Amino acid sequence: MKRAGFAGEVRVFAEYEGDFREEADVAVVGSGPGGAVVAKELAEAGKRVVLLEEGPPITPPDFELEGSRSMARTLREGGLRTTFGTVMPTMQAICLGGGSVVNSAICVRPPAFVFDAWSERYELSDTTRASLDPHYEAVEKFLGIGPTPENVLGRRNLLFKQGCDALGYTSEPMPRNVRGCRGSGECFTGCRSRAKQSMDVSFVPAAIRAGALVLTSAQVQEVRVDGRRAVGLVGRVVEPFTLRPGHAFEVRAKEIVLAAGCMATPVLLQRSGNLANRSGQVGENLQFHPGVAISGVFPEPTDPQFGATQGYQSLHFLEQGFKLETLWAPPGVLAVRTPGFGLELKQRLAELPYSATWDAIASCHHSLGRVRARRRGLDPALTWHLDERDVPILQRALWTLAEIFFAAGARKIVPGIHGIPEELHSPGEAEVIRSKPLRGSHLVIGGNHAFCTTRMHGDPRRGVVDELGRCHDLENLWIADTGVFPRCSSVNPMLTCMALAHRTAGAIAPRV
Amino acid sequence: MWLLLLALGAAAYAAWRVFAGFERRPEGVGVLARREIGFLDAAADALFPPGGAIPFSGRDAEIPRYVDAYVRVQPTRTRTLMRLLFFLVEHATIVLPAPGRGGRRRFSALAPAQRVCVLEDWRASRLFARRIVFTSLRAILTMGYFAHPGVLRALGLAPLSIPSPIGEADLLYPRVGRHPSTITLTRDDLTPPSDGTPLDPRGPLDPRYAPKTAR
Repeated sequence: MKRAGFAGEVRVFAEYEGDFREEADVAVVGSGPGGAVVAKELAEAGKRVVLLEEGPPITPPDFELEGSRSMARTLREGGLRTTFGTVMPTMQAICLGGGSVVNSAICVRPPAFVFDAWSERYELSDTTRASLDPHYEAVEKFLGIGPTPENVLGRRNLLFKQGCDALGYTSEPMPRNVRGCRGSGECFTGCRSRAKQSMDVSFVPAAIRAGALVLTSAQVQEVRVDGRRAVGLVGRVVEPFTLRPGHAFEVRAKEIVLAAGCMATPVLLQRSGNLANRSGQVGENLQFHPGVAISGVFPEPTDPQFGATQGYQSLHFLEQGFKLETLWAPPGVLAVRTPGFGLELKQRLAELPYSATWDAIASCHHSLGRVRARRRGLDPALTWHLDERDVPILQRALWTLAEIFFAAGARKIVPGIHGIPEELHSPGEAEVIRSKPLRGSHLVIGGNHAFCTTRMHGDPRRGVVDELGRCHDLENLWIADTGVFPRCSSVNPMLTCMALAHRTAGAIAPRV
Repeated sequence: MWLLLLALGAAAYAAWRVFAGFERRPEGVGVLARREIGFLDAAADALFPPGGAIPFSGRDAEIPRYVDAYVRVQPTRTRTLMRLLFFLVEHATIVLPAPGRGGRRRFSALAPAQRVCVLEDWRASRLFARRIVFTSLRAILTMGYFAHPGVLRALGLAPLSIPSPIGEADLLYPRVGRHPSTITLTRDDLTPPSDGTPLDPRGPLDPRYAPKTAR
């Protein structure tokens, strides 16, 4: 059903009345930061674009403010997806706009050394920071990306700055795709202020304005090929949240772009007859930015519920392998880390209004995993192992966070590390974080970001796609999600994913 | 013959241990069995007893009811794993007994102090797998505790009232599950986007979290 004033169309679950078929110049699977950018750019270039998204659009009246209920509705596997090997939670979204609807809008360009490593190790001579800068600029301009304004930082973000300043560590307000942030701290459950420029309110409407057809609740189950060409996609309409299958559909297109995410894209390829996998790299090389966090309690209230969700960062230690950030989340999610039982636990929880939580994400290049299709369904079987050679990076990051807390005036910290006291009250006590020999199993880690499962490589024997995102094995099959990263990006990947997708769109446009 | 009797006796004990002696399932609980509700109630009480710095216990916060609703929205595989988790902690006391008399009774039948000891044993275990079991259970219970509006209000962390501007996306997308014909907004209804005015942390609460007032 066309909406007044839009050249294109968006279909939702309630509109599907039977099996259907569509034809297009370009079909894009996934409406997250990769797919939405490709769809908008190609629709604006005058191409007939069909954008398929498995989840529904979710608008503010449907946002759940309570963390676990929100996760159950917006994330795959109810928000409880974990890796095996090293057990670690990891989250992938399922809604129009993908992860951008429920992430904290962080948009950081990786420094040149990241791309230098990509170029050298993966034979990617045209993937330098300088060659990507025009793509970064295009995306940043469209989304209004800029540093978090000071008036919505709130105390817990400013305390981080204060601690970094005291220690001489560089730090800065987080650059984000946000316009008019009010400091609600609700990025993870959906922005009720409509300030976050997630894909569903930015690139997707722009694509529809330019004529794209957006099919929501459309689960792509297979890519059809004919020789070395992909010819179409088949799948089922699925009910929002339950994913109960309904009508069948087929979309035929001249060019096909998979942007279903680092987990779903390899599963789709594997389910399509192990497609695009002459290199044997589909689903391999899975990397994360494993994250660790520490909470600190201050003498004065921090009003933690006010302020940009992740409003401040430090890139000071990026070359040593970690990035530091502030963090807020629904209290029930943050409180999961609080140790103790009974009245002691309640006492600690009562200190939440005086607390702040800061985290580190690490570049753990030795820690690899894989994604495999399960016998049934499209959820992946994930295996990943934290390599003990990467543990010192996480340990150093935790110690640095502890240092910053005490420099900012915290009266105690809660490190959440097995074998270390539940509370530490001074830098001297916190020294144990640095000095104790730690193993990976001592740490509580989260699987932030995910990469590399369809990595780009100049050598077709060692990678799935080329520098522009086109599969080495097929003439017209492209990938535009974080799976194409050859290794982790050291900083939050959304902006780089969008910049690479922008470049991919530019490569597709002249072909149709 | 003796072996058969022994097997029958063991089966009868197992059935009694797993199924017997639980209170009736509270109204409105749709997925979890009464034995699972009994376990969650006991675990919630161990983690969040009455009294202390927050005037709500795990029972006041109706954690079992929350978990029931949470399990209901999970995919089948996750749902099964969660229920296995509850079963495991409830009955692991057979091989990992609580200290004191009757320490091998199921978790929900232990004395409150014994329950705390059992959970502490899981938390501090040298085995990573056991710690993960505990972390998973505590995560579910803690999220349930904080799902109660009263707990968030008591901490001053309840979500604030935030009006959503009406933007172009609201002309495109109906509410989840509804037909686009239910969108009654037009371009004339669009409002200016957020101007970035900081929220007042002491401002009015979202209606879902505001205290219920007597009529």
